[in-house]
Amino acid sequence: MSETATPATSPDRTLRTGPGRVLVAVYAVFALAATARGGYQLATRFEEAPLAYALSLFAGVVYLVAAVGLARAGRTSRTVALVSCGVEMVGVLVVGAASVFLPDVFPDDTVWSNFGGGYLFIPLVLPVLGLWWILRVHRMDRN
Amino acid sequence: MVDWLAMTIQMVSLAMAGWCLVSTFRDQPMVVPHLVGMGILWLLVLGQVVATIVTMVGGDRPAQMAMFVSYLATVALLPPACAVWGFMERSRWGPAVIAFACVILPVLFVRLEQLWSPGV
Repeated sequence: MSETATPATSPDRTLRTGPGRVLVAVYAVFALAATARGGYQLATRFEEAPLAYALSLFAGVVYLVAAVGLARAGRTSRTVALVSCGVEMVGVLVVGAASVFLPDVFPDDTVWSNFGGGYLFIPLVLPVLGLWWILRVHRMDRN
Repeated sequence: MVDWLAMTIQMVSLAMAGWCLVSTFRDQPMVVPHLVGMGILWLLVLGQVVATIVTMVGGDRPAQMAMFVSYLATVALLPPACAVWGFMERSRWGPAVIAFACVILPVLFVRLEQLWSPGV
């Protein structure tokens, strides 16, 4: 019934079970949203705010890598998920701070502007949850 | 876009979200009634998508056509994708996936309606 009860048999699968399953779904939706937004804006209005649009696209790719890293079994994908969640955490903090203190740099919003305020601050909470989950599974494995 | 259908989808979707949240808090996995609910929701969404495509073929198109079509494809694929992903998980987190999807869906419909008739 529950795979999480017997992590010893397949330790690498635990990342996508339990709460991890919701995380993958949320990451997938954000990957789609940010990639589509960045791609569309770069294609139609590149000259208006190239940095902001490129950042949206970059954020989308990071979300996609994180979703795949969380969804796939294996030690390598766990590292991939860990790194992409870390990049995301840094990204949302740096871009969020820059958009507040240096608004001239970002004439148009990105997913990470105002610490993800345009998306109910989910971009700020998501990497925290992601990192927490990966580290928790990692600790469960070692015990 | 059929307004009453969009409204119905949003209501059904939020009701599904509430039901699945209750299941999550009661520590229940996804069961067949959840899947049937998602099936009904998906049929309503597909009805809306088909009606909208018929209208667009008839010549009535939104200004940002590419954006609109990508949102339309997303709402058509979100319910089945999340239903399958949630049903694979045999714990309380299965309904949690559906609850998330069913909260996102009405938001996507708000965006669709904005794109369909901007400024209204």
